[in-house]
Amino acid sequence: MPEVNIYEDLSLVRRRANTVFWVIAALTFLALSFYWKVQILDHKKFSSLAEANRTRQRTLAAPRGLIRDRNGEILADNGASFKVSFIRENVKDLEASLAAVGRLLEIDGKTLRNRLEQYKDLQAFEPIVIKDGLSSEDIAPIESRRLEFPELVVDAEPRRFYPKGTLAAHVLGYLQERTPEEIRAEPGRAARAGEMVGKTGVEREYDGLLTGEDGKITEVVDSLGRVRDEKARDNAVQGGDVFLTLDHRLQAKAEEALKGREGVVVALDPETGEILALASFPTFDPNRFITRFTPTEWNQLTNDPLSPLENRAIRGLYAPGSIFKLAMSLGGLDFGYVTPETTVYCRGSTLIYGAVRHCWFAPGHGSMNLADAIKNSCNIYFYTLGQRMGIDMIAKAAGLLGLGEKTGVDLAGEKEGLVPSSEWKTRTLKTPWYLGETISVAIGQGPLQVTPLQIAALTAMIAERGNRRKRPHLFLRAPAGGKGSSAEVDGAGAEPPFKSSTFESVIEGMWRSVNDGGTGKGAFVEGLDVCGKTGSTQVISRESAERLSLAGREIKTHSWFTGFAPRDNPRIVLTVLIEYGGGGGATAAPVAGRIFELFKDIQEK
Amino acid sequence: MMIDRRLIREVDWVLLGLVLLHSLIGVFFIYSSSHLLAGNYYVRQLAWIGVSLVALALVLAIDYKFFVSLSIYFYGLTVALLAATLVFARFIAGTKSWITLGLMQFQPSELAKIVMILLFARLFAGYKSAYLTTRHTLFALALAGVPLVLIILQPDLGTAMTFLAIIGGAFILAGLRRKTVLLFLLAAIVVGLGGWNFGFKDYQKKRLTTLVNPLHDPRGSGYQVIQSKIAIGAGGLSGKGFMKGSQSQLRFLPARHTDFIFSVIGEEAGFMGVLAVIVLYFFMLTRMFLSVSKARDRAGVYIIFTAALLIAFQFLVNILMIIGLFPVVGITLPFISYGGSSLLTNFIACGLILNVKMRRFANV
Repeated sequence: MPEVNIYEDLSLVRRRANTVFWVIAALTFLALSFYWKVQILDHKKFSSLAEANRTRQRTLAAPRGLIRDRNGEILADNGASFKVSFIRENVKDLEASLAAVGRLLEIDGKTLRNRLEQYKDLQAFEPIVIKDGLSSEDIAPIESRRLEFPELVVDAEPRRFYPKGTLAAHVLGYLQERTPEEIRAEPGRAARAGEMVGKTGVEREYDGLLTGEDGKITEVVDSLGRVRDEKARDNAVQGGDVFLTLDHRLQAKAEEALKGREGVVVALDPETGEILALASFPTFDPNRFITRFTPTEWNQLTNDPLSPLENRAIRGLYAPGSIFKLAMSLGGLDFGYVTPETTVYCRGSTLIYGAVRHCWFAPGHGSMNLADAIKNSCNIYFYTLGQRMGIDMIAKAAGLLGLGEKTGVDLAGEKEGLVPSSEWKTRTLKTPWYLGETISVAIGQGPLQVTPLQIAALTAMIAERGNRRKRPHLFLRAPAGGKGSSAEVDGAGAEPPFKSSTFESVIEGMWRSVNDGGTGKGAFVEGLDVCGKTGSTQVISRESAERLSLAGREIKTHSWFTGFAPRDNPRIVLTVLIEYGGGGGATAAPVAGRIFELFKDIQEK
Repeated sequence: MMIDRRLIREVDWVLLGLVLLHSLIGVFFIYSSSHLLAGNYYVRQLAWIGVSLVALALVLAIDYKFFVSLSIYFYGLTVALLAATLVFARFIAGTKSWITLGLMQFQPSELAKIVMILLFARLFAGYKSAYLTTRHTLFALALAGVPLVLIILQPDLGTAMTFLAIIGGAFILAGLRRKTVLLFLLAAIVVGLGGWNFGFKDYQKKRLTTLVNPLHDPRGSGYQVIQSKIAIGAGGLSGKGFMKGSQSQLRFLPARHTDFIFSVIGEEAGFMGVLAVIVLYFFMLTRMFLSVSKARDRAGVYIIFTAALLIAFQFLVNILMIIGLFPVVGITLPFISYGGSSLLTNFIACGLILNVKMRRFANV
């Protein structure tokens, strides 16, 4: 190096430059060692973070199993639909995003905010469904603006569809979204937000069989959430089909017969307990509720004074009226208070316990034996019988026929009704039983309360003459496996509750009621040998009265018919209740007749 | 103007080769990180390398002493340009630092760095005492302060910091007394506190708090650092392979062909790639700093030292920033990051170093 004197002395500045260079060298080394730490020592951690960054797991909702009737007819199906979910993690400015999303999807800001509030406990990366039930045309404008809305995810999902609309709505039930409370209540269950579950009916009862196994898809996404590749896919497994005991033709006929009224039709096979039709009116269209959002129709339905959502067959409590005379007859005969030949003379009214009691037929029926009394539904006969039996023996007979307890049908929410006894009254009302009350109960009035399904089960027992008692049920089979609730009644196979001859005497009366010009003649079907009994309830409960005045109805009696056919080897039990239908013989019996007619046609085919 | 053959022989071809090597490494990773974007960034970068090489040749052709003698005019021009930028430029990405010259956009603040190098060389060329006097310090600060304030007003914090590095480097070389350093520190604290409470924009404050804890704002300013660290860490020893880094290819990494290009290298080439680039870079910086001993006069020493410091400072801040050891301030990795103005500036700085070095003999 030619360090000659002609050059100025730069040693000081060079030394300083050198020092600075060494500082830079040290900093470079520091940086390098930190890269070593991040890239080599912490590689695993950052590697999994990168993996989590680029992959997203999405649930593939499993279609529910189909619900079919006994002939395989589809009652609940699945259709295709799309839902839009919101991922909070992908948003920087939540307020601006909500405003934009609200405009895009036409959701008002309050609804959207409430929806997110509802799920605020979920992790920020979990999608929250904000709109569903969309068609492919609906989602086109959303898809075309994907880049502007990284927070939105559009998924296809199978959507429950009830092809027959309102048919058997109360049996099928409906779906609603699993609530955040329910998700929290079962932490072990792999529930996903926005999952639809059966809320009532068969959808609820057999939810476990109908629910499939959700699939899972692992996708590679970019920073804007756009899917670039698919890594792994577990396909969803559809839930198992459930075949119901219903026959859609009988069901449709039953509903047609009830149209425009409030009431119930129950048809079942007495031998097996299989429910062939179960209609409750007014009804609803379950297709309307397959959304996670409360439509205005829902509020209308829940506030409707006629309670269309209630399944009256299992939850409606009615006085049985003259139908109860069947229980009186069975008990009276079997416990020895009367014989089939015992007669009572009906003048149209009588004096019992110091009060005048009237028969519904003012001129009087004259001298009547048991079968005549059933045929004509004579009140005087049963007042007399009730007086002889006393309330506790009446309660015993009713209890043996299954009144006052649930039938155990495979539908949730069944009510048990009420069979009063002296013990019941002292226990609940703290007053003694008055003998006069017995007389009301003897003709199915007073505190007595039954559900239409209980009456159908009672009729089935009579039809089967006390043998082969089966619990009424809706589950027929599930091809993929899985059982319904047991059709066996506890203690079934034991002795029939009443003697066979007792049943025959009562059945004679029921046969004559329909086929020999009795009150049930409206249910007569040529060549089917229908046996039945009518009833008209004269008492309305306080709740009913309120409902009634709300609905602006004039007060009429409820109209009952229950019966079976044919007389020997019965194939069908039919119970009809028409609220405020007037006399049972005039309203309910002809409805039953039409359904018996169809059943006969179906049988002959 | 023809250049003497002997001068061409004296060009440090190794250093020039290292600069070109880094530029080409840059082109590769610019391609990898931007091939999904419209705009053919790697082609544009290649074009800028060409332009920068021409500029470098022009710088070499003229004796650096000539530049130094003109530096006060350059200075006036630059201040005027910066002022004009502030008045006429439109906001791009939140700052007013770009002016449009025909088809090209240019940042006058980049040019200002070169001018400062030359100005300080001139200022201190005849300064032979061991330590700076107060008068000299204040004069130098006043001169440098005008463009600095204009740059801060844009606001361009990264360039302002680089500017401060050049000023600081020149002062260190000229000799700072301990009490002056203390005074500067005190002033820095006062200005810093004042700036924090009145001057800093919210995004700048956030960047500083994010340095302490990136998870403080994971979706905002912390996002870049988190994603960058993930990219680098996921690269591991040998990397995910060229164009195979999920962080950059799936666009989780922000500014991946500009400020964060080294994260792409970390992800796709792994620690081995990082080591190779840092070692090569360090080799290049060493060669630049060692050139200080080749300068024949004081002005040359200042030019080489501040120019080398300019590149070294940006390099260090960039590689520390993308791994979370320094706030995100928008400083590129010289020669490797995409960007014409920055490339041109760093090539010219390198040209100045080569210029001084090749004219090291007094009799030329």
